[in-house]
Amino acid sequence: MHIVDGALSVPVLAAGALLTVAGVALGLKKMDYDHLPQVGVLSAAFFIASYIHLPIGFSSVHLILNGLIGLALGWAAFPALLVALFLQAVFFGFGGFVVLGVNTLNIALPAVLMYYLCRHGVSSSSPKVAAIWGAVGGAGAIVVTTLMVALSLMLSGEAFVLAAKATFVAHIPVMIVEGFVTASAVLLMRKVKPEFLGINEDRVYG
Amino acid sequence: MGKWWRFILVGLLAVPFMANAHNVLGGVYAIGSTIEGEIGFSNGDMAPKGTEIIVFDGLGNELGRVETDADGLFSFEATKRVDHFFYGNLSSGHVVDMTLPADQLPETLAGGEVGASQDLVSTTASGSTLDKTELETMIETAVAKQVKPLRQELAAYKEKAGLQDILGGIGYIFGVCGLGIWWRQRQKDQQSKTNASVS
Repeated sequence: MHIVDGALSVPVLAAGALLTVAGVALGLKKMDYDHLPQVGVLSAAFFIASYIHLPIGFSSVHLILNGLIGLALGWAAFPALLVALFLQAVFFGFGGFVVLGVNTLNIALPAVLMYYLCRHGVSSSSPKVAAIWGAVGGAGAIVVTTLMVALSLMLSGEAFVLAAKATFVAHIPVMIVEGFVTASAVLLMRKVKPEFLGINEDRVYG
Repeated sequence: MGKWWRFILVGLLAVPFMANAHNVLGGVYAIGSTIEGEIGFSNGDMAPKGTEIIVFDGLGNELGRVETDADGLFSFEATKRVDHFFYGNLSSGHVVDMTLPADQLPETLAGGEVGASQDLVSTTASGSTLDKTELETMIETAVAKQVKPLRQELAAYKEKAGLQDILGGIGYIFGVCGLGIWWRQRQKDQQSKTNASVS
């Protein structure tokens, strides 16, 4: 999921950086500053999630959690993920500084998309429907992210279908796990902290 | 912030197996004039068989291409004593750059400053007895073999991030949040001050 330095061409890097700056600006503008601690906690969760590998059969996967972050934060996912990705590059050497813009865009934009797609679903009165939408958000964010990673590589000269296939297949287990995790997180949040998902609140961050 | 978030955080931190992420790892080692290398992912998977590695010199000229075997290993026979750059692309944005500096290659190869004269020596003194150059090559090979596992271990160690890094990162995130809250609070204070002075 983290593209490393040296894999992408300059126009792609520049476009990614510009769009990320725009996304972060929008996120900071739309963010409800009373919810800043939540943004921080989710940012920290993302920061650690990529470090913890769950062995699944022949390979190991790590959670990305961008669907969950999107559902909970909306546009504020951009600044949250930018900070986390920056620190991952500093501490773990994931990705790199030049590709930070592209990586943030590839992970945060799907999060925002899932926010718009699923936020009504997860605040449904039926827990079952909410869980299904949560799963859709969790898995969907990974699907969109893999497509965006493949697109970034294609724009830098790699064959799209090949890159998309390789990335997509490698992330099928992640999609499944992420769907379950997000669905159960949604169920838990509805019970314990409904305002986290924008339920019983007139205005969400968006 | 709900209580459960703290539980999740603690749970995540307590997960006993903390493997590395999917970084691309690679190393190149000179054994005599043969450069051996390996690439793989930091979770232990090696590069797929047939991954193409392109070899460049310092000026960007292509010196050759090699393919990895089933264990992610490859070897390249150096013919010049120059810096060798290895580039591998493992798809999905996983690329790796590795460098083998010229001074790790034997001085008998052409291209080095002392290479030319040494070449002469070795060709003229090609007897059955062990001359100095041959002995040097043998020692180099033997030492390289001994040092290789150490190098691999060191490379793996460098990639490893520990608990300190994790806690440090979380600390930074919370610090940034604190700054945001402080800044927000200051703005609010100033607003209320100006409001108070107006009224």
